[in-house]
Amino acid sequence: MDKYIEMIRIRFLMMLAYRTNYYTGILIYSINIGAYYFLWNAIYGDKQEIEGLSVLQMTTYVAVAWMARAFYFNNIDREMADEIKEGKVAVELIRPYSYLGMKTMQGLGEGLFRLLFFSVPGMVIVWLIFPIAFSAEPAVWLLFLVSITLSFFINTQINLLTGITTFFLFNNTGLIRAKRVVIDLFSGLLLPISFFPVWAQSIMGYLPFQGISYIPSMIFTNGFTRVEAIEALLFQAVWVLILFLPIHLLWTLAKKQLIIQGG
Amino acid sequence: MFYFSMFFQYVAQYMKTRLEYRADLLVEIFSDLLFQAVNLIFIIVVFGHTQFLGGWSREEIIFIYGFFLVPYALFSAFFNIWDFNERYIVKGELDRILTRPIHSLFQIILERMELESLFGVFTGVGVMFYAGSKLGLTVSWYDPFVFVLFVVGGVLVYGGIFILLACISFWADARTSIMPMMYNIGNYGRYPVDIYNPVIRFILTWILPFAFVGVYPSAYFLGREEWYSYAFLTPLIGVVFFILSIFTWNEGVKKYRGAGN
Amino acid sequence: MGAIEVRDLRKEFKAYSSRSGLKGAFRDLLTRNYKVIPAVNDISFSVKQGEMVGYIGENGAGKSTTIKMLTGILEPTSGSVTVNNMNPHRERERFVQTIGVVFGQRSQLWWDIAVQESFRLLKKVYKVSDEDYNNHMELVIKTLDIGPLLDKPVRKLSLGQRMRCELAAALIHNPPLLFLDEPTIGLDVLVKLKIREFLKEINEKYNTTILLTTHDLTDIEALCERVIMLDEGQIIYDGALKSLKEKWGEGKEIQFQFLEPAELKTLEEATSGLQVKWEVDEKKQVFTAFTEDNEETISQVIAKTVMAFRIKDVNIDETSTEEIIRNIYEKGMV
Repeated sequence: MDKYIEMIRIRFLMMLAYRTNYYTGILIYSINIGAYYFLWNAIYGDKQEIEGLSVLQMTTYVAVAWMARAFYFNNIDREMADEIKEGKVAVELIRPYSYLGMKTMQGLGEGLFRLLFFSVPGMVIVWLIFPIAFSAEPAVWLLFLVSITLSFFINTQINLLTGITTFFLFNNTGLIRAKRVVIDLFSGLLLPISFFPVWAQSIMGYLPFQGISYIPSMIFTNGFTRVEAIEALLFQAVWVLILFLPIHLLWTLAKKQLIIQGG
Repeated sequence: MFYFSMFFQYVAQYMKTRLEYRADLLVEIFSDLLFQAVNLIFIIVVFGHTQFLGGWSREEIIFIYGFFLVPYALFSAFFNIWDFNERYIVKGELDRILTRPIHSLFQIILERMELESLFGVFTGVGVMFYAGSKLGLTVSWYDPFVFVLFVVGGVLVYGGIFILLACISFWADARTSIMPMMYNIGNYGRYPVDIYNPVIRFILTWILPFAFVGVYPSAYFLGREEWYSYAFLTPLIGVVFFILSIFTWNEGVKKYRGAGN
Repeated sequence: MGAIEVRDLRKEFKAYSSRSGLKGAFRDLLTRNYKVIPAVNDISFSVKQGEMVGYIGENGAGKSTTIKMLTGILEPTSGSVTVNNMNPHRERERFVQTIGVVFGQRSQLWWDIAVQESFRLLKKVYKVSDEDYNNHMELVIKTLDIGPLLDKPVRKLSLGQRMRCELAAALIHNPPLLFLDEPTIGLDVLVKLKIREFLKEINEKYNTTILLTTHDLTDIEALCERVIMLDEGQIIYDGALKSLKEKWGEGKEIQFQFLEPAELKTLEEATSGLQVKWEVDEKKQVFTAFTEDNEETISQVIAKTVMAFRIKDVNIDETSTEEIIRNIYEKGMV
């Protein structure tokens, strides 16, 4: 376990070294949130609420969705693809740790860094500029924290899956890009899932993506009742468990492939 | 002339390598289409809940998006420099570029071409025609010329901004993730600027003039006369930003520190 | 005017130092320490057309930085560089037309396309006419023996094959001046020999000036009459390799292997009174006597040693260049 914690620490330090990213990053996320704020204001027009969300809740939703993204988002799929293509994975495999576990920890180190230095100050800045409603209930905050932790795992698992496909596709930049686009839409980052037509919503109920952004953001904005929130957390947890299966399967196949190709 | 012939040399090489990996090519075109579809879905879903967006109808917004796709496709095909810092500065590939007798930026543009992005031109024009016919727009004989002029202006705006961003790497040694995120901001030029607050409108017009890649030039074709003066500024803004960026680039190359020291 | 004229050339870098630990990293977030370090510290030299010069120094001595200024990649902080009568950085595009560059650790060729496609593209880049290309490259391809590799993509070549292609690629426009930065790094002996032969040949045929940096001193010995040595950004020696040897390698080494177990002490006693210093290797097999370069002394050392122990093998060597250079760096200035 020590080595994994060490990996989180190392990533954390690496991120600190690239500090200018974060000043500019916060600025740009704020601009991004701002633009959506105006867009949603225009969409709402004189309406009091759409699909049960008020303008205020919607703004909060957008802000928290983007700031949470800073936490769960990582590029480990691209990193894995590069490492596989450059043949570094063979070296990683002879090290005494689980490669996928290590990648996850790197992602977590990055995520924690961004949570502290990006999301939290970013949220404060956004709150100073735009009307955002923070919940006063500690329970909501607790549920939210559990929820974004689970979003991190779901998103990272999907990234691991995408990364592993490099073994079979060789060049999967297109796939990685496609995945990102799909996640932006179906995770609820751009639009709350409840805004979609009912038939689309029912399809998405069978997919893990809304566990990435929609669920934590709805919890944060008080868009869910307490029961709905608990159910949503269960939904996320179940998906975290389910996703272990394809990862394990593909990884076993990939290692065989690696032995045959010799890295 | 030399630069033209070099351009076609590189295009020929590019085709040869790309056609070796045909499957990748298809996946990439597909992922582009997916990206465009997602944005259209966003617009359609949003208009499931409202009739007008700041006084603009659904078809008008779709038209703006269609127009935006055209300069954006050209930009993505030729200004694929979002990873300039990692690829050329950190890995030191710029050393190699600088030992060859062609302008450094031009070489990078040639090396990093992604011609499959040009497919977006067709999608864009298709979307414009679809929205245009729903709106009952007519095409005059000079419209295609105006269109080309505006598209070129838009490409130069985009190119200029991203070259300027790439130039940051010459001065700051920190890896920067501004570029990928700037793609997000670029998207706001696709929506009518009158929905934004004046500060953002100002930024999108004069600082990061993404509005000139979407809503302003489209306003001309949509017959929104109140925006005509902005629409016709498009080529000028493009040229100004592009020249500024080339100038900054040339200065930046002087500051290049080399890799691995 | 020579091929290269360098006057008081200087290049400074800002070196950022990071504080240690998490707390230090947080402080770095706000301000960072840096100091200005001169990587190249006011150096001057000139190289005549047709010379082959070895540019040597330890890692971080400023070799690469100098090469990068000479090739127009970096702009000097101060001082002047004139190469082929041009200012490399200011007139970069015109200037690079007249030089060839090989970076041993960086490929000039396009990874995914066949070698000859890269050549074709470079031919256009350097505006080489078909006629010049055919005349010149035929020889290059033949001498480097890369004919069979031309239709293979670069990623499928071995390092030695790739290096030969890199060299050919750098010569497509037949430049009068060639920069080679670690051209033989990681190559096997046969490829090294081939590359050296080739460099000699083009130097003779076209009077090409060659500036070579390398860690492998055998390259320098095989090719260069002149060496420039760099230490901490300054030139500590500039002159003929031969006089470097004469000045520093004044002694001879006599290596003995004996049939019976020997002792340093016994040997020292046996040769006492002579100008000699004994050393033994770790395995206690090879005993080396360092003497001055004087036939009388050498004969006497051998004679007295033979009397002390029975001999299996004897070898007389000059001090190797590597040793000379090591000595110089250990002792500082020449």
